[in-house]
Formats: sequence, C-alpha cells, structure tokens
Amino acid sequence: MKYNIKQLSVFLENRAGELSDFTHVLSKNNISIKSILLADSTDYGLVRTIVDNPEKAKTILEDEGFSVRFTDVFGVKIDDIVGSFDKVVTVLANEKINILYTYSFYESNTGIFIFSVEKNRLEDAINALLKANIEIVQAKHFYM
Amino acid sequence: MTFSKNESLCKQELQSWQLTHLQETLERVYYLVPFYKKKFDDAGVLLKDIKSLKDLSKLPFTKKQDLRDNYPFGMFSVDMDQIVRIHSSSGTTGKPTVVGYTEHDMSIWAEVMGRAFTMGGVTCQDIMQNSHGYGLFTGGLGFHSAAERMKIAVIPSSTGFTSRQLLLLKDFGATVLTATPSFALHMAEVAKNEGYDIQKDFKLKVGFFGAEPTSDGMKKEIASIWGIDYHEVYGLSEIIGPGVACNCKHSNLLHIHEDHFYPEIIDPKTGEVLPEGERGELVITTLTKQGLPIIRYRTGDITSLTRIPCKCGRTLGRIESIVGRSDDMLLINGVNVFPSQIEHVLSKQDGVTLNYQIIADKKGYLDKLEIDIELNPEMMSDDIGDLDRLKKTIQHALLNHLYINVDVKLVAPKSLTRSEGKAIRVIDKRQK
Repeated sequence: MKYNIKQLSVFLENRAGELSDFTHVLSKNNISIKSILLADSTDYGLVRTIVDNPEKAKTILEDEGFSVRFTDVFGVKIDDIVGSFDKVVTVLANEKINILYTYSFYESNTGIFIFSVEKNRLEDAINALLKANIEIVQAKHFYM
Repeated sequence: MTFSKNESLCKQELQSWQLTHLQETLERVYYLVPFYKKKFDDAGVLLKDIKSLKDLSKLPFTKKQDLRDNYPFGMFSVDMDQIVRIHSSSGTTGKPTVVGYTEHDMSIWAEVMGRAFTMGGVTCQDIMQNSHGYGLFTGGLGFHSAAERMKIAVIPSSTGFTSRQLLLLKDFGATVLTATPSFALHMAEVAKNEGYDIQKDFKLKVGFFGAEPTSDGMKKEIASIWGIDYHEVYGLSEIIGPGVACNCKHSNLLHIHEDHFYPEIIDPKTGEVLPEGERGELVITTLTKQGLPIIRYRTGDITSLTRIPCKCGRTLGRIESIVGRSDDMLLINGVNVFPSQIEHVLSKQDGVTLNYQIIADKKGYLDKLEIDIELNPEMMSDDIGDLDRLKKTIQHALLNHLYINVDVKLVAPKSLTRSEGKAIRVIDKRQK
C-alpha cells in the first residue's frame, strides 16, 4: 500500500471561474498542488489532482460544497531517455492491464508519471512494474 | 358554409339537445363506470336532480389524476370489443393518461374536425400536409383520420425532418398545412435558409395550428410568412383530441363544438361557475362520447366563453385562445410536461439528487427543455464516462416517460439557485 497515492477527483461545472474557485480553497488553506489534470465534457469537467495533504483537502473542499472522491493511483519515475515511457506501458500491456489515464510532471530533471488503471488491477500493475525494475514513487513522497 | 346543421341551432334547440345528451351521458356513466357511480353517490347527487344544464354544477369535477387512478381502462364505459382506437398522453406522474374511442366516437371526431376544415374552406379537392406528430398523441392521427373521412388527400409527413418536409410540400403541392405554430415558423426559417421562395414555391392557402399557447403576433407572423389563412384548433386528448374548438374566418375566438363538448368556465380556486365573459378554467363535459365519456373535466386551460353571435352564422359559443394554465403544466413543442413527471423520473435514478431546475427556452422557433440536476456527492466518479452515461441514462428515461428530448445537465451539488431555502423548480424563458 505504500505506493498508493490518494488522488482527488473533483467535479467542476464548465464555466469561467469554476477552476479558480477550486484552487482558491486550496491556496487559502495552504495546500500545495503537486500535479493536476483537467478532463472536460461539454457541460462539466473533472479535476484530478495530487496534493500534499489529501485528507485535509477533501474535508475543506466538501465544506465548500465541492464533490470530491479519492481515487488510488501510482507514480512512476521515468527518465528523459528515448524508450523509457514505452518500457513502462509495455509492462502493463503484457499484463493486459488497461490504463485509464496518465499525466506527468517534472521534479529535479526526472519525470513522474501518474497512472490510473482499471479497477482492481492497481496492485498487479505495481507488482509487475517493480518486478521489471521500474522505480515507483512512494506515496509519502508527496505528502507533508 | 357550415359542415353540419348543429353548428347553427337556435338557443332553445341547442340547449334542448345538450340537456337530452347530458342526461343520457350521466345515465351511461352512472351505470357503466363504477368510478362515477361512487363519485355521484358520495356527492349525494341523484340523476333525477339534474333537470337543467345549470344543475350540472351540482356534480363533482373529474381530474387528470382520476384517469391515472383508473389506469388504464377503468374510465371506459364500453367493453374492448367496441373500442377501435386507443391514444395516450403522459400523465402528471408515472402512469400515462389513456383514452379510447368507439367507431361512433371516431365519427364525432371526424365531424368536429370536418367543421374546422370547413371553417378554413378546405374541400376534397385539397391536399393536406399533416406535420403533427403521429403516434400515441392525438395530434397526428386526429387530423389524419378526419381528413381521410372528408376525402382530403392527406400526406402523413409527421413532425421533424424539416428539409424533406419542404421538398414534399413543394413537389406534392399541398394546399393545407397542419402543425404546431412553432414548427410552422421553424419550417419557414429552414425554407428561407435553403433558398425557397416561400410565396412562389408553395401552394399553401390555409393552415390549422394548435397544441401550443400562441400570441396574436405569432399567428399573424405565420399567416404572413406562408401567405395563408390561420386557423387555430383547440383540443385535448381527454375530451377527444384536436377539434374541440376552432376559429372561423370572421373571428379570432374559437367556436367550441358545444353540442358535443359542454363548456363551463369556473374559478379554479373555488370551483364556482363564473358568469359568461369572465376568465377562468375551462371545464368540459362530453355529451355524445361512448368510449371515455367524461363529466366536468378540469382542462387546466384558462380562457373565457362568450355567446355573442358570430357573423358567420354559427350559434356555438366561442372561447378565447388559451391564455394560461391553472396548474404548472408546460407545453414543449405541443407536448404536455408536468414538473411532477420529471421529478418522478429523477426519483428513480441513482447518482443524482432531487435538486433540479427545469428551464424552458426557445432554440430558434422551437421549444427546448433543459434540466439541471445536482449530482449526488456520494455517486461522484473519477470516470468522465460514468458521468456521461449517467446523463444519457436520465435523458433516455425522460424520453421514455415524457416523449420528448430533454437536455440534461449535471451540475455541482448545492449550485442551483434557491429562494428562501427552496429550489426554484421551473424557469420559463420563452416569451409569453
């Protein structure tokens, strides 16, 4: 479980100012966004974000009227070398694990890719990647 | 010219016809429909107490809810072997409203529609494009069957598919158009965009419109764009469908076929019958129907009734074009929608709350209905596909129950406007 990162998924309506309403709540409460992904549909969007204090963030966001849920994801360290990302997704493909989405950010010259995979396959994915000597970031790395 | 002699009976003849048929109808429902026997008995009214048309006010009203409570056929006064047609409209909640017609009822329907067609000068030489929706609604088939019986060539084009409709309208050379007013305007707009010269390319001379509240301005606009005489046809399925009333060439008021449908105007709050000329809720008693005779039916439509003689020579009373509703019913492209129905459908859906807002608006000339629903925070998903599926499921359920396409919008919890803690349920942005 040490690799399971608690990602916040937050429902936002598709209109100007909605995202800043959300980020204001976090900044006001001194919560740092480590990475963020916006997915949109015609009328609404979903924000997926990794923050340094997910429990606190969920509580205060819900107090402010946002719909929030936790989703378990994991982070993989990937160097800026041709073929390194390919290697990771090939391991998952060989295990027939469906990737739902991925997003990334940089941290001191290393890329960290956040992966969400299909239901009930998270442990399988982590084990397969560890077996292939791929470095997975521990969850505590992100938390205060 | 009138279609039948009943349209111009003198007052005494008309009233004597009405009383005779009223008494027959009361006898019919009392002995054949247990609902009415109980209703009259509970009200302590005996059939012999109804000695004049005025005495009708002693009887209790029939409401839409009664039809629902007796779903599907409990209000019919004949066995199924006598029924030749069944129509249905959505009810106020859950179960739809069902109406049935005997062969005799179909003749009455054709008769009153024939009167309407005659008011518009339509004969068997004409071609009628019927752009009312076909199916369970009475609009499409009501016009269709009556036109056929009058030997009018009828094109059952139904509603929608506007480009194809225009092609048929031009190539088949229809002289009569029947549609909802908003669809007639929509057709005109599409015709202009597609490069038709409306006055030259089409042979229309008269149109019959209804099923929507329509301002005088809108009627004039339709008449002038299409270069036609505008006739409004009023009706509701519980009484018979289209054909309850229609205006002649001399008046904007609609002659109500009161030899078949006896009208009263009541105060919707007290139920008291109002004097002639005053506005109130239209209540109708069918005088000649067999399948579904109905006593003092509360239509929910607000209008007034006058018996000032009309220049055309018809002695039938006339009602105003409907000016409003006594309840919260919305008309969306001619289809009845009650907020309670929408709530009923939503209450069966997982993933959303019952905090919703219904927004009626115009898109071009057509009505559109949007429903904003607050998401249930517990059902919040990380999967955008889940949310899209939820939206589609609700849209599908609403289409199934309301027979109309609704644009569903999922919104954040607690985001809808509330007035003193209560959500504002309906916002109607359409011009009145």
